[in-house]
Amino acid sequence: MRSISLISAVILVFALFSCDNGSVSPIDEPDTYDFQRNGSSSVSFTGQTTRIQMAEELAASLKDFDNASTELLLEMFRNETESGDDADPYSSADLNASDKSIKSKVAASQDYYSSNTAESAVIKADFESWINAQVNEVFPAQNVEATAGTAGQIADGSSARYINAKGLEYDQMVIKGLIGALMTDQALNNYLGTAVLDEGNNREDNDNGVLVEGKNYTNMEHKWDEAYGYLYGTSVDPADPNATIGGDDSFLNKYIGRAEGDEDFAGIAAEIYNAFKLGRAAIVAGDYTLRDEQAEIIKEKVSEIIGIRAVYYLQQAKFILDQSNPDYGAAFHDLSEGYGFIYSLMFTRKPNTDAPYFTKSEVDALIAKLLGDGENGLWDVTPTTLDELSSEIADAFKFTVEQAGS
Amino acid sequence: MRFLKITCLSLLIMGFFGCDNGPTDPQNMDSFDRKAMLANWADNIIIPAYSDFATKTESLKNAGTAFNEETSQENLDLLRNAFKDAYRSWQKVSMFAIGKAEEETVREYFNIFPVDVEDLKENISSTSYNLSLPSEFDQQGFPALDYLLFGLGENNDDFIQAFTDPSLGENRRNYLLDLVNRIDELTDMVLTDWQSGFRDEFVNNSANSATASVDRLVNDYIFYYEKHLRAGKVGIPAGVFSGSPEAGLVEALYAEDFNRELLLIALDAVQDFFNGKHYDGSQDAVGLDDYLDELETTKNEENLSKLINDQFDAARTAIEGLNMNLNQQVVDDNISMLSAYDQLQLNVVLLKVDMLQALNINVDFVDADGD
Repeated sequence: MRSISLISAVILVFALFSCDNGSVSPIDEPDTYDFQRNGSSSVSFTGQTTRIQMAEELAASLKDFDNASTELLLEMFRNETESGDDADPYSSADLNASDKSIKSKVAASQDYYSSNTAESAVIKADFESWINAQVNEVFPAQNVEATAGTAGQIADGSSARYINAKGLEYDQMVIKGLIGALMTDQALNNYLGTAVLDEGNNREDNDNGVLVEGKNYTNMEHKWDEAYGYLYGTSVDPADPNATIGGDDSFLNKYIGRAEGDEDFAGIAAEIYNAFKLGRAAIVAGDYTLRDEQAEIIKEKVSEIIGIRAVYYLQQAKFILDQSNPDYGAAFHDLSEGYGFIYSLMFTRKPNTDAPYFTKSEVDALIAKLLGDGENGLWDVTPTTLDELSSEIADAFKFTVEQAGS
Repeated sequence: MRFLKITCLSLLIMGFFGCDNGPTDPQNMDSFDRKAMLANWADNIIIPAYSDFATKTESLKNAGTAFNEETSQENLDLLRNAFKDAYRSWQKVSMFAIGKAEEETVREYFNIFPVDVEDLKENISSTSYNLSLPSEFDQQGFPALDYLLFGLGENNDDFIQAFTDPSLGENRRNYLLDLVNRIDELTDMVLTDWQSGFRDEFVNNSANSATASVDRLVNDYIFYYEKHLRAGKVGIPAGVFSGSPEAGLVEALYAEDFNRELLLIALDAVQDFFNGKHYDGSQDAVGLDDYLDELETTKNEENLSKLINDQFDAARTAIEGLNMNLNQQVVDDNISMLSAYDQLQLNVVLLKVDMLQALNINVDFVDADGD
């Protein structure tokens, strides 16, 4: 442990120096994410806040055995009826009044999906199939005891989890899957990509202070803010979000907080936040090199969050399954969360490339392996398989299985 | 996190010893007679404790049956006493979640609180429930009986009324009967298993490895102490983890003047087990204290076994100063409740870090991340 921290410290020192040497910038990193023009804020990400809130309502309703139906849940996903008419599926009137939706931004980034609509459609269909299956497979088995090959409920300590015949919780797959498919994909592969930041006359307009009609921001500023909103859009104080990091949503924010709480990764929340602040200041100053350097830091660190959590849950489950009398419910819950994070790996972004850490087909292979030790999926999975998957994922990143697994 | 650190540390320690000792198996470094300790645990503590508990659950079942047949004040009083006796006795076996008790998750069925009153009422009115489902954990066992016998109304008449009420009285009586029958049945299952083979399996599995009896039961013991005694009975109602005290989360919320007593019984049981004291109190035989003494384990130049016993005593003193109704204590003066928690917490460190390191036992449970 000590040697690991020592190595991390050395790496950190190197990282600091290499950052400093990159560009000696006259631009100061602001204290908070507070940017003003003409005496009022130029920051806006209401659409991101709205989608996080929609996803929260969907997440809660996925286990509402008494009131949820496929119709209601799919309306929450699409914010429209099956036939495309306006729907009011949410408990919040503001959300019902919104014309935004979760589905339209799932696997919908410019960089990854603008010319890959086929794969985007497959991913959207995955989410709809999990939602359908929750109602059609798991709801009817609410009061059935789950066994290998049979959906139902299973104890996880003193609470009950609701799983399918292979031991998976569909609600966890949806929630953790959205962290990749919605928040991460939109932030890293859409708004932080040059295709979107520099679209059309964005640079020229930004250089000349040309504002979006009726708004207090330039187009480029707004795009950057929208990336920011997918991480901090429901923060208590969005200008200073790390004060409550991890407690503000059930998605990306939550797991930045979890990684931050692991001493092996402490500091990652500040790295992400600082890069957002400096990048936004760079846009104001018209320094696009500095902006893009910050975007790369964010891409790397947010991707790392997903990798860390995938390995974390695989290792937690392995630890439980290694016991002489394993708490299967607890292990399956970890693995259902892990499934969602593995799924999310395809939306990560290796810095300075156009590629994720794992492509869709590589993710498909990881998942097939997770469920492939026997005909009953998680009921059959072996600790060896979980270790192999963990190593495979950790090897693609700069952390070790041991660091992420605790 | 903690577990990994300990693992790393243990690996490191084992690594050192491995090098130094050459061919000697580091698993058997010490010459302490673990098997004798296991035999003492099984024969003089666990099995007598379960036998006693089984007697109490049988009396509870009989009192429940009598009350079902004749719903009188006299039978209600007898039933309430039988309930209290069984709940007291439960405090002395709850920590032994090994064998059938672990397989059948008996502690989850017997003592998850707070009881879910709304779902319990729904069970009573619908009469369709399957008490073996995990989702029914918090609608059965002692917390549910506590509610039915002490929480249904204000005075005695209310209770007789509730159980003889023309619309729901019979449902309530039958539900109560199902609960006491189930407690007795599961308890018999655990005791019978100990008496018919598991005892030998347990005692003979006397090595020092993750699957050996000492390692497993010591883990169960510490898990119980940390999660159920320290957190469940004191820390959670005191708001240690949530930041806001909630008196309603105490054990035995409805029976008056009862939950501090249960906590003290549980604490005594935990300390007695540490010292290997016979269940009947007749002898202080071989236990974890002796194991630590044999290894000459010290901390800050004091015997670890003494430090642990002193800390149990300090926690007991703190608890004895609390209101007999811990829920009232939380409302009146939660700082004292928190102080009692702190005394209990100090022994988590001594047991889980210092003792386990000395005994070369790895922690086999992790803190769930709570989502």
